[in-house]
Amino acid sequence: MRITAAEVAALSLSIKVALLSLIVTFPLGLLVGWLLAKRTFPGKAFLNTLVMLPLVLPPIISGYLLLILLGKHGFIGRFIYQTFGVEIVFSELSVVIAVSVISFPLLVRGIVTGMEAVPVELENAARTLGASPIKVFWTITLPMAHRGVIGGTILGFSKSLGEFGATIMVAGNIPGKTQTMALAIFSAVHLGEDVSVYRLVFISTVVAFAAIWLTERFTLR
Amino acid sequence: MADSPQIKLDFRKSLGSFTLDINCTLAAKVSAFLGPSGSGKSTLLNCISGTLAPDDGEIVFGEEVLYASAAKINLSPEKRRFGYVFQEGHLFPHLTVAQNIRYGQPKPRKSSAAIDVLEIAEFLQRYPRELSGGQRQRVAIARALAMEPRMLLMDEPLASLDSALKARIIPYLHHVKDTFDIPILYITHAFSEAMALADEAFLIANGLIIANGEPYRLLTAPSAMPIAQLTGVENTLFLPVTASDKARGLTLLEIGNQSLVIPYTDIGIGEIAPVAVRAEDIIISLEPDISISARNILKGTIQYLDVKSEYTWLSILVEWHHLAVKVTHAARKQLQLQEGSEVYCVIKASAINLLWD
Repeated sequence: MRITAAEVAALSLSIKVALLSLIVTFPLGLLVGWLLAKRTFPGKAFLNTLVMLPLVLPPIISGYLLLILLGKHGFIGRFIYQTFGVEIVFSELSVVIAVSVISFPLLVRGIVTGMEAVPVELENAARTLGASPIKVFWTITLPMAHRGVIGGTILGFSKSLGEFGATIMVAGNIPGKTQTMALAIFSAVHLGEDVSVYRLVFISTVVAFAAIWLTERFTLR
Repeated sequence: MADSPQIKLDFRKSLGSFTLDINCTLAAKVSAFLGPSGSGKSTLLNCISGTLAPDDGEIVFGEEVLYASAAKINLSPEKRRFGYVFQEGHLFPHLTVAQNIRYGQPKPRKSSAAIDVLEIAEFLQRYPRELSGGQRQRVAIARALAMEPRMLLMDEPLASLDSALKARIIPYLHHVKDTFDIPILYITHAFSEAMALADEAFLIANGLIIANGEPYRLLTAPSAMPIAQLTGVENTLFLPVTASDKARGLTLLEIGNQSLVIPYTDIGIGEIAPVAVRAEDIIISLEPDISISARNILKGTIQYLDVKSEYTWLSILVEWHHLAVKVTHAARKQLQLQEGSEVYCVIKASAINLLWD
């Protein structure tokens, strides 16, 4: 049983996209998570709803909305196309965007849960010891919330690895270009390529298992 | 402490239906705010530390305005440089003791007077969860001192400790008071702690200061009674053990040049025994040579006499300890008691209780 070039391409695309998405969403997730967990401001409920929406909406719908926004005639897509001459949809970039939107609520949820559990009294204690709000964030809030942050990161990353619905809407299913593992499995099932299906399912499971197991190893003392 | 900065507090803060309305000046080395829970003590401290903004008024430390509603000044906590010791310690659980102490230090340094005074050098490398309650509180005090604060704020630092531990921490607080040349604001609901530490106490109830003065005077002030009655009017003394006789069931404490006999305790010789005597358990005599079964006859002078309530309250100076004594008006008249009178305090050994045991 030999793994095919198309399967390798799908696997590496999935991992690459999940990593890229993580790099983009992680700092933003920290900021949004901190705002939601520790601050009160007008529009907080709206921001929370907006961030969480993709968790509740069927991914197909999220994907469709993205397609409308990012397409050549869409609100954002047209601007990008006219300015940079780049078409977002059906590109690798669109996979990253789709995967980011879908995984973001999971990341933020984990960060918010972790940060909400950090007692405000400890943060105030740090303030009375002379720490600025930024120092308090890096030295107290973030380290103490690390379990929630890591948990959210694992969940978000795993979600990114297996995202299907939104990806197929905005990025299509182009082998070697936008075909991720999940899409490759979908195609293989359709074409009746059972051996390929088993292989891809096995690889996906191993990758997901390894991701979670490694993180647990490094975070559990 | 002649040029110790005065702290002027004049502000209001409403939280729901509760209003804190404070107007006072702190000039003593150790000022205590004394009041039952819910009286607004913690709100007061949070406003001073800057973690909570008052509604209006001003807070001035020496010459520096920390808060002024009119001028829209509200210094952030980190700019006020007040060391804050919390009731629950609030040590950072993910940092070692050494890292906790270093957290607020202006410049990192290996040794610190705070570490020596609170005797915590041996557990610098441990995490807070590996410490006992008393050790944690000592670290919390050391952490607040290590930041080299301009003032120390203490919010019921002993309240979360079990009874026996309190007596062990009190000497550390005295040591802090003597070593560090900064004003201390101490908040408590226990008269005994205010008596043990403070030079001036403010009684606070329902968000208002209802009396202030030296703690021993407050203990006998009628306005203090509602609060004092929560714990009873008890005289608290911290006296060294000089001798113990288990067979006869007695322990001897030193009170200046006199002795106080109490029921036997296994506190070692030379160590401090915290004891309490209720104000109504002290009998006043004008002569020392009386045939009486009570074991203690202490010589003292009436410093202060209060006749405004149902009973006469006396504050009697025995060596350098003030004892609050409650007698009837009839007894006062019969013995012709007045300020400056020399009297003898007669106390049964069994009326003296070991505090916190």
